[in-house]
Amino acid sequence: MKALLDWVDDRSGIRSLIREALYEKVPGGARWRYVWGSCLTFVFFTQVVTGTLLWMFYSPSTQTAWESVYYLEYHVAGGWFLRGVHHYMAQAMIVLLVLHLMQVVIDGAYKAPRELNFWFGIMMLGVTLALSLTGYLLPWDQKGYWATAVATNLMAEVPVIGPAIQKIVVGGVEYGHHTLTRFFALHAGVLPASLIGLVVVHIYLFRKHGIHAKEPRPNRDSYFWPDQVLKDAVACLAVLLAVVTLTIYFHGAPLGPPADASNEFPARPEWYFLFLFQLLKYVPAFWGAVIIPAFLVLWMFLQPFIGKSKAGHQFNVGFWWTLLAGSVFLTFLAMSEDQANLKHGAALNEAQWQADRVVEIASSEGIPLAGAVSLLREDPENLGRRLFAAHCSSCHLYNGHDGRGYPVDESQSAADLAGFASEKWITELLDHDQYVSQKYFGGTKFKDGTMARKVLAKYTDTEKAALPQIAKLLADGAELPYEEPLDNQKREEFLSLFYNDDFVFEEGRACIECHDIDSEEEGYAPDLTGYGSREWLIAFIENPEGSRFYGKKNDRMPCYGRDNKLKSEEIAILADWIRSKPTEF
Amino acid sequence: MNEKDEKKKSSNNRRNFVITSTIGASAACALFPFASGLPSVLDPVTKKSDGKQVPWTKVTALATLPEDGTPTKFEVILEKVTDAWTTYTNIPAGAVYLARNGDEVTAYNLKCPHLGCAIDYRKNSNDYFCPCHNSTFALDGSITTENSPSPRGMDTMETKVEGGLVWIRFQQFRPNVSEKIPLS
Repeated sequence: MKALLDWVDDRSGIRSLIREALYEKVPGGARWRYVWGSCLTFVFFTQVVTGTLLWMFYSPSTQTAWESVYYLEYHVAGGWFLRGVHHYMAQAMIVLLVLHLMQVVIDGAYKAPRELNFWFGIMMLGVTLALSLTGYLLPWDQKGYWATAVATNLMAEVPVIGPAIQKIVVGGVEYGHHTLTRFFALHAGVLPASLIGLVVVHIYLFRKHGIHAKEPRPNRDSYFWPDQVLKDAVACLAVLLAVVTLTIYFHGAPLGPPADASNEFPARPEWYFLFLFQLLKYVPAFWGAVIIPAFLVLWMFLQPFIGKSKAGHQFNVGFWWTLLAGSVFLTFLAMSEDQANLKHGAALNEAQWQADRVVEIASSEGIPLAGAVSLLREDPENLGRRLFAAHCSSCHLYNGHDGRGYPVDESQSAADLAGFASEKWITELLDHDQYVSQKYFGGTKFKDGTMARKVLAKYTDTEKAALPQIAKLLADGAELPYEEPLDNQKREEFLSLFYNDDFVFEEGRACIECHDIDSEEEGYAPDLTGYGSREWLIAFIENPEGSRFYGKKNDRMPCYGRDNKLKSEEIAILADWIRSKPTEF
Repeated sequence: MNEKDEKKKSSNNRRNFVITSTIGASAACALFPFASGLPSVLDPVTKKSDGKQVPWTKVTALATLPEDGTPTKFEVILEKVTDAWTTYTNIPAGAVYLARNGDEVTAYNLKCPHLGCAIDYRKNSNDYFCPCHNSTFALDGSITTENSPSPRGMDTMETKVEGGLVWIRFQQFRPNVSEKIPLS
């Protein structure tokens, strides 16, 4: 073994290189405040290794990016862990960068003769932020897609060359295949290579000038090895532990629904860019994207000169603290505004629903060539929610929301349709107080109609006792997928009640006097034959003014079958969706 | 042992402890990134095959095959093929030579059992020939070259004829071994 090492050493000089690397003098002895640089090197190393491993699974195109990440996440052994480590390590890197920077600033390590190295550090900060930004888009999920679009739109704010820069980075005018290939090349090639180059220079310059000892020195001078290395390694282990904990706690990194330009998503950047996001609510984009960053960069480059005097140094430190505090404050504002915004919360829930849904479909049916986004676009469950929200929720609610879980601003003018035509729904409808409430017809003219005033309000206790059976009869006609059908005997029995064969209802209050079931005649009120069934509901949505339904008494319900308001497939999807689930109330 | 030696010993112990811990902690940090991805990288070898039987696939009508047993080449179009995340439907997944013998059909994989080149049927010599390494096979798929590069005859697959249609269980086998071992 020794002979082999001698042979290698003879030809490479490895021993003296290692000795030189390890026996760097640490003035004042090993200290915890010096660990940040090593931690960052470790984190970057981890990112290079885990990133290269992720590369084995990633496929950059709009039909395969999300899909390949999904496959890694859900179908490759330990894929979620690998991706989680890369995701949380990236965030740890941002935190460590801030710590390293603040330590350098507070200790005055940016001053002569270390100006150059400080500038290199600032450049590395920029490259790291660019790595975060480009990496964020790669999974091609809704979050990455919409948030990164904001960032690339900001690029266009740069005077003269901005629009060209934006086109070059995006690979065209719109996001597409070339956005992903370019972002991937930047994220896995250009930026890490630049960072490696900068790290080499940074470490070289660091070794040239040595550690900037913070006075007073607590101990005798010592060497980098082993005391400082131990402290560095322990700090790295702590970072590692934190990242592993986060990865396991959250079971890896999140993966939203696949990117879809036609499906809105509240764009928010990762937490470390939230301050910038919030700032753009107050200042014009040109200021946020150009003037302020340009001023900050200029100040950072001048900082070593400003810091020459004691007052200048104090100014620098104060300015950094102000920047940091300002960013924390803006981040806090951004988060608390979102927290207070019900619509934002609902949008996040909706995105989570879509993410779970697409994974569910992809796992059972596989993903077609057109990509996972087509699974959601063609999913009747997803389409039903969206059609309801778009076309029905301006009047009707669904379980008190718009069908997707969004709160509705205007007060409800028509019935809540969750569990429509179910036994429970009809039973409530036949209760006078419920009938005239907002949940049913309280917002319509039927509130003051014959049914409310002359029938429901007047029912005697005997009549009321018969209503549950009427509800059962009507619900049976709806043939809802989640309700049991009645047996024939019961149905006949209840139908006889409906026809008032035994005069249970007094004159003027029997169902059959206005409504029909299974008869040729047209009644005064909607025909209840097959009420709530697929056929009935489709026909009703198409034309509620039909003689079978409300006729001329229709109150504001649009005829969706007319003028191509909705296509017949859409009406069918909507009807199926409304009929698919019981109410959650 | 005097006090000075004791002190030196304890200082040595401390130093040894520091060095061991340092090497341990550094090694853990250095190995962790590789270890975090190891299960994923090894996934192709550790993943268990789903154990499902190879499905029957319709290839052609029996009537299209010459009755004299001359082999004819056909594309095999599988109903469903999964490649990582993508599920393809009705996609050509390979090719076979079909040779008829009365109402029975034998299917030979187009791929050479040697190293997977595509085998030609030679009309003139009425045999099979692999243009890569010159393996030759008789019409029944058996090896005809001395010192044949291919360690086994051509790979046959299960076939059946139903309702005038030829069905096969299309599958691939491990190349360059004398036994016929299905790939899964």
